[in-house]
Amino acid sequence: MSTEAQTSGDAVYWDPYRPDLGKDPYPTYKRMRAEAPLYYNPDYDFYAVTRFNDVEACLSDHQNFISGRSDILEFIREDMEVPPGMFIWEDPPLHTAYRTVVMRVFTPKRMNDLEGMIRDYCARCLDAVVGRDKIDFIADLGGQLPGGVIGMLLGIPDEDRDAVRDRVEAALRTEEGKPMEMDQAAIMGENFEAYIDWRMDNPSDDLMTELLNTEFKDPEGVVRKLTKEEVLIFVNLLAGAGNETTSKLIGWMGKLLGEHPDQRRAVAADLSLVNNTIEEILRFEPPGPSVARYVANDVVVQGQTVPAGSVMLNIIAAANRDEGRFVDGERFDIHRQGPPHMTFGRGIHTCLGMALARVEGRVALEEILKRFPDWTVDTDNAQLSSSSSTRGWDTMPVFVG
Amino acid sequence: MAKITYISRAGEETVLDVANGSTVMRGAVDNAVKGIIGDCGGACSCATCHVYVDPAWLDRVGEVGPIEEILLEEVCDPQDNSRLGCQITITDELDGLVVRLPEKQV
Ligand code: HEM
Ligand code: FES
Repeated sequence: MSTEAQTSGDAVYWDPYRPDLGKDPYPTYKRMRAEAPLYYNPDYDFYAVTRFNDVEACLSDHQNFISGRSDILEFIREDMEVPPGMFIWEDPPLHTAYRTVVMRVFTPKRMNDLEGMIRDYCARCLDAVVGRDKIDFIADLGGQLPGGVIGMLLGIPDEDRDAVRDRVEAALRTEEGKPMEMDQAAIMGENFEAYIDWRMDNPSDDLMTELLNTEFKDPEGVVRKLTKEEVLIFVNLLAGAGNETTSKLIGWMGKLLGEHPDQRRAVAADLSLVNNTIEEILRFEPPGPSVARYVANDVVVQGQTVPAGSVMLNIIAAANRDEGRFVDGERFDIHRQGPPHMTFGRGIHTCLGMALARVEGRVALEEILKRFPDWTVDTDNAQLSSSSSTRGWDTMPVFVG
Repeated sequence: MAKITYISRAGEETVLDVANGSTVMRGAVDNAVKGIIGDCGGACSCATCHVYVDPAWLDRVGEVGPIEEILLEEVCDPQDNSRLGCQITITDELDGLVVRLPEKQV
């Protein structure tokens, strides 16, 4: 795909809001890695890094590249106020105190224990569409499963789950060609509140109950339980961070395996390749293509000083194809053997939900392949959406068989 | 610099020279030793660098940190000699260290 910006001779230009670039950002990323490893965009006033080592170094350096003004380009610019407990947008020691308490309940073991329920959920979604000649990876599975799983985890009643998802998506969506706008109400999420009240009176063995009962050392060093407000923020954070991203992973699964029938047949014939396939989908099309940081101190990147007060965009999607690290990085290959990608971030903010996302991805793919080993993407009706923080399919219709 | 021996579940041994200041996790990941993932890059945040330290070395690999302790409760099959590989920093003292890898990280 060639767009004006790709014409050689011009200086490389990257604008995360331009739909024409968002459709296929990879040629631009490739040029950025080669020609402008420290990129600066004068229109929106941000820097960007695209090489694996640079992105890894920035994300690992939480002293100079801070999250306390959020990790989304637009929000950093707006100088938003981060509610206490929204630890994805906090720095140590606040971040450490809050992340540790959630980590205690949000464990790989608990995630693996959910596997059976996740499988049943996938089976229910997919059995409902067996026999059709066309299915949609988003409408029929990807749009439902992640919210359903968060619901299982938190013990949220089924009927409220769709409302949660819709609100979060509405909050994150950008109008085509425009930076996203903050919707504070959606982020604070009032409508979990009634549920938390109810849970306080009706404890069960879910994560919500555990959160309400856990004691932790708060940022001031006091050992106490979480407040209702803090629990509310956590729940919103988990729902917000875990829904759209995982849904997009499932959409990319439909797209990439639809377009690589030989590789799809290879996994369908040998389900032991499923884990590797999920990792390759995550590497090749990360649902969160970039995360931003506020530059707290002057810092040297690629031999150039990036001044304090700047915004740095870490383009994970570009780093994941860096030929310096991934042989033949632009090629989708489920047989690839390491090294690991950066789709779940790096450093102290590394995705807390990655064990869960991986279980969901693996189980979804297994259950799909058992029922639908063959499909072709209905390209004309597949709809892509992209913003500075997520990129993936709103619809991914495929012809089966 | 220290020679570190990684022993897989299947008994396969990999011996590496790892530089001082690096970590048990980093040494493995940089040399594509299977069985250690190191997703967070060593920030003690992901628990995908779990190793079993040979008991003979336990008193030389340093103390378990508070966050590491929480993560270690949650890895697959935790044992008394479980550590996170990214929290063991290489020094000359660790020359000869032997670690065994768990069945799985996630
Ligand atoms: C394929 C699916 C997913 C992808 C690609 C993904 C990606 C990411 C990335 C890149 C970050 C780091 C953000 C930053 O450094 O600013 C992150 C953080 C986070 N993710 Fe995920 N995520 C996924 C699924 C999930 C799920 C299922 C959950 C929970 C239910 C979750 C919860 C979180 C939380 C709580 C954080 C903040 C961690 C912190 O700041 O310490 N994610 N995720
Ligand atoms: S590498 Fe993540 S905890 Fe050790």
